[in-house]
Amino acid sequence: MGDSTTPLRVVIADDAMLLREGIQKVLEDAGIEVVASVGTADELLGVLDETPVDAAVLDIRMPPGHSDEGVVALERIRAGGSTIGVLLLSMYATPEYALRVMGAGSGTGYLLKERVAQPQTLVRAVETVASGGSVVDPEVVEQLVGRSRVDDPISRLTERERSVLELMAQGYSNGGIAQSLFLGLKTVETHVRSILQKLGLEESRDHHRRVLAVLALLGER
Amino acid sequence: MAISGYWSTPAEARPETSYATLHALVPLVFAACAGVAWAISESRWPARLMVAFVVLWIPQSIYAVIGGVGWLWPVVRGLDLGWAVVTGIIVLIYPRGVLRERFDRWVVGIAAVASAVNLLAVLLLAAPGDGVCACSAPNPYRVAALPELFAAIDVGYRIIGVGLALAIAVRLLFRWMRGSVPARTVAFLMPLALLAWATTLTAQAVSYAAEARSDQMLATISLIAIASIPVSFVAGVSHARNMRARVADLMRITREGADRGLWAESLARTLRDASVRVYWWDEERGVYADASGTPIPKGDADPRGSQSVLPVASPLGVPIALIRHDRVLTDNMRLLDGVSSALRLSVDNGRLRSEIERTLAHVRESRQRIVEAGDAARRRIERDLHDGAQQQLVSLAMRLRRTSDQARDRGMPAIADEVDAEILLLNAALKELRELAQGLHPSLLAQGGLSLALPELAGRCSVPTEVRVDVAGRLPELVEATAYFVVAEALANVDKHAGATRVWIDASSDGRELRLTVRDNGAGGARLDAGTGIVGVLDRVEAVGGTLELVSESGHGTTITVRLPLVDGVDGAPPTLG
Repeated sequence: MGDSTTPLRVVIADDAMLLREGIQKVLEDAGIEVVASVGTADELLGVLDETPVDAAVLDIRMPPGHSDEGVVALERIRAGGSTIGVLLLSMYATPEYALRVMGAGSGTGYLLKERVAQPQTLVRAVETVASGGSVVDPEVVEQLVGRSRVDDPISRLTERERSVLELMAQGYSNGGIAQSLFLGLKTVETHVRSILQKLGLEESRDHHRRVLAVLALLGER
Repeated sequence: MAISGYWSTPAEARPETSYATLHALVPLVFAACAGVAWAISESRWPARLMVAFVVLWIPQSIYAVIGGVGWLWPVVRGLDLGWAVVTGIIVLIYPRGVLRERFDRWVVGIAAVASAVNLLAVLLLAAPGDGVCACSAPNPYRVAALPELFAAIDVGYRIIGVGLALAIAVRLLFRWMRGSVPARTVAFLMPLALLAWATTLTAQAVSYAAEARSDQMLATISLIAIASIPVSFVAGVSHARNMRARVADLMRITREGADRGLWAESLARTLRDASVRVYWWDEERGVYADASGTPIPKGDADPRGSQSVLPVASPLGVPIALIRHDRVLTDNMRLLDGVSSALRLSVDNGRLRSEIERTLAHVRESRQRIVEAGDAARRRIERDLHDGAQQQLVSLAMRLRRTSDQARDRGMPAIADEVDAEILLLNAALKELRELAQGLHPSLLAQGGLSLALPELAGRCSVPTEVRVDVAGRLPELVEATAYFVVAEALANVDKHAGATRVWIDASSDGRELRLTVRDNGAGGARLDAGTGIVGVLDRVEAVGGTLELVSESGHGTTITVRLPLVDGVDGAPPTLG
């Protein structure tokens, strides 16, 4: 979480100017410093070379190819050893894509573009990735959980456990889950242990690994 | 009759028994050949003439019987060389049964006039005892006693006859010598027979003129020669018929569109003429050239040479080829007609085939272009939506949110709530727009190919679906899109109809084709009927040159197998003529 005295430094990359400006306003309203706002992935990488930032918010689909430039940029950032937070915005919620994005490492987020209209969601996502956490769009999780499976392990979960699982998949920490569901931390921890046991997943101290494991399990069928 | 004539002839005037037998056999041979000729010849004339020969052969042997009948013997006596005239005509009309050339018509004309003059002379001038006839009754038609004139006409007629016979024999011999090996093999009997006969006839005529008794040996040879004429006629005609049967074989061989080399070879075999050459019309150069491209030699068009050329053209008059063949084959126009028909048919077949192949290729290409254009349009619309409407709606939602926040800050919660409601509506609209754009062209497919898009597609299916994608790298856009829509349609069908509990999707490529199977364990019984989405998918698959196979036995699930070529199919058009 950003220290209130030293604001988070963020760079934005999106080829749609309207959105770029909108995102900038939302972030600045929340006290985040937008050090640069660019239209392509290459420009973003240029900015990152020169300016130290805490996080980058970037569109997946950008010129020149309008395909997966954002993900490629993420992979290059990680390949360069940088651990800054990277939040990818996508017009479509695609689980397979989210899995690929999350696979790039911790401090990564995948969010539907329309979430920028929910300032708290966007700001919290930026803060989460900047602090090394993971963010997965609820719609992606919803799709994954809704997948039909042979011998569905999800069906063995209670209603409450399922809600906890969904938040786990979205990247929430136990504390975050407790806050969202108005539960005690101990209760959440019990639920998490039960869920992991029922799903046959190992407990892990590494928060990102937990997110990946849950997503991977949900991705299976 | 010949027998009764023999018996009524005085014993000392009777010829030898063997000669008499032979003499009686000649008309039998003619009669038999007439029957065969009637059956196999194109024209009825040879058979008719052979029958006429049989009738006209009789008078020679029955003088002894009719010598006492005054009104009859002069008529018979006037016609007693008719068989020779008929024999000459039979030879001339060989093999087609018609008189072809002016020479032939002249010969027949002269023979007819001479025969008429002779008949008149016999009727009006002959007395009993003149010539061969040992007749006793007086000639009732006789108008004058001019024994010198009668003798002159009688001998002259025979000399003209011998002359004509010799002319025919020589002509035939010439024709035969100029002919090719194939024609000679059978037709050699005819000129030989005629020559033998003409020679003996000459000898007989000389001895007749000298009033000497003819030599028995010569007479026997003459009979054999005469009898061999209808035999060689029939043999020649049946040989030609065999050739026609071989044309049928030629048709069969070349129907499938033979190449040019094989054509010349088959033709030579059919016509039994190794000298046959086929020259194909070369549209570019405007010349006829053989299969290896060598143009036709100038001299080959010479109408006087031993070779003759047969032009073959399409029904519209477009030249196809020249067949250079032995001149003697022109005797058999039907055969050549058959050959040129076979050639025309073969070329037409080849031409049609290549035309159909060309048209098919065009249709295939244009089908593919239509699909490509459709895909491009979908992609463009999706991109326009993504970069335009969707982005604008998102930023609009964002601004509305700020408006709502500001309204709340300024103590206008009612307005803020209203704006929040608008935002919810806007989000719903955005979601719908997103799904529309996704359906138009899955952006994931464009971005990640089948290995990303197929699992995503499977994830949306209500039935548990196992996906295996074994495809290295990206495939051509058209193939990826087609495979994607196949799977989408198949899964939609599974959702709707199959009642399955499990689906398996398998996509693999070997670099040359993408093999895609979608299998379920449902009720089966699906069909490629009109109205089902699979038919639309089939169209698409075929447009990119692929195949779709549906196996759906009732109770055994449904398997759709699609193969899509990754490289442009090699055009396996067989070699064609023309």
